Amino acid sequence: MTTRVPAKKVHLFNISPAPGSLHHQKRVGRGQGSGYGGTSGRGHNGQKSRSGPGPKPGFEGGQTPITKLIPKRGFHNQNAKEYAAVNLDRLQHWVDQGRLISTPEQPITARELSLSGCVHDVKDGIKILGDGMEFLRGPIHVVSSRASKSAIATIERLGGTIYCRYFNPLALQDCIDGRTDRIAAAPTKRKDIEWYTHWGNRGYLSPQAIKKMPFADDRLKELSREFTTFKSESLKTK
Amino acid sequence: MSNLGSLNSKPVHSTDNVVQLDPHVFSHPIRRDILHLCVVHHLDSLRQGSANTKTRGEVRGSGRKVRPQKGSGRARLGDAQSPMLRGGGVAFGPKPRDFSTKLPRKVIEMGMRVALSAKLREHGLGVVKSLNWPGVKTGPLAKRISELGWRRTLFVTGLDEIPERLRRASSNIDKVEVVTAKDLHVYDAVKWPRVVLDLAAVEWLERKLGKKTVVDSF
Repeated sequence: MTTRVPAKKVHLFNISPAPGSLHHQKRVGRGQGSGYGGTSGRGHNGQKSRSGPGPKPGFEGGQTPITKLIPKRGFHNQNAKEYAAVNLDRLQHWVDQGRLISTPEQPITARELSLSGCVHDVKDGIKILGDGMEFLRGPIHVVSSRASKSAIATIERLGGTIYCRYFNPLALQDCIDGRTDRIAAAPTKRKDIEWYTHWGNRGYLSPQAIKKMPFADDRLKELSREFTTFKSESLKTK
Repeated sequence: MSNLGSLNSKPVHSTDNVVQLDPHVFSHPIRRDILHLCVVHHLDSLRQGSANTKTRGEVRGSGRKVRPQKGSGRARLGDAQSPMLRGGGVAFGPKPRDFSTKLPRKVIEMGMRVALSAKLREHGLGVVKSLNWPGVKTGPLAKRISELGWRRTLFVTGLDEIPERLRRASSNIDKVEVVTAKDLHVYDAVKWPRVVLDLAAVEWLERKLGKKTVVDSF
């Protein structure tokens, strides 16, 4: 017959840490018994036994360091954009779980993708890619920074809509925060204007997109008109 | 003071004076190591950390070389504030610093659950209907507390502020303290032999420490 020993009352003086959870601090130079007395774990003489920070990091005693052996390469493109890729199978999985819902008036944007956990770091914008396109079943409505041609084809084949919108860093952050008091800036660079006025990319400033998009307001219509007038103009030759 | 509410572990004297407590909060397995973490974290935060010493740079004195490098037959010396010398600075002495440590919020919450469960198990936890003491004078309250045998008790109210009358009446009573549930520490819950909660405090603690259900992000 086993009898249960009644547990002692809990007081401030009889609570202790879990065994093995604490580690005593190493205190050097405090006698032989500690194991770190005398030279305090530094050995005898030499640069490393002296006080001070020692040689600079990466110094290899005079031998050409590995950081200098290997030549420099390339340049850093300041204007490069890194898009957070979202494949169609991942989008379908999120829709199946009920974590993403889209309508033509309230499409999936960077905000919904970030809040639902589909994308952890939005980087410079979202790009919808077509990997796993066979898993996409129903129509979805997306507005992203970029999209691949196969993704566009698959989404539209299933009755969904996809438009690509220009986001500068401020506009992207406002989109993620759900902030609507500021106006998202239009593209200013020639390459961006050309890209976003092209219907093949489903650019939001292309004339076909302006007709179809539910959120094409007067400002976007005016911008689209401005950016595409050159096509009908000709140079006057005198 | 309202009647003492019956506890889960004690035999019930009257079925009117029963309060149901969440077992996740008040019947939690006892984890003394978690209590240790919480108590040490609390005591660290109380440290003033104002010990200060002067280094060789802060001790008053000039930088004049005390004696020539060579020739005197004695040890070489720089300025007179070196830690080797009497009257010199301290080599690695204490400086004012912050001793507070961080502890995950969930560990502190578990510590509170363990502390309350330990108090309940040791018959040191009580529940009253409310802590709105009607009088203002200290005398009657002290007498009533002695009658009940509730010296060395921590009263915890679940309201935003301690009721003013109770605060004035109890502030001068030795070994009796009133605190809000918000300001209750694990340290206090372990230190005080008896803890008396009011119903609002029970509700507040159960809401804060109860099992959390999974909430959809959308």
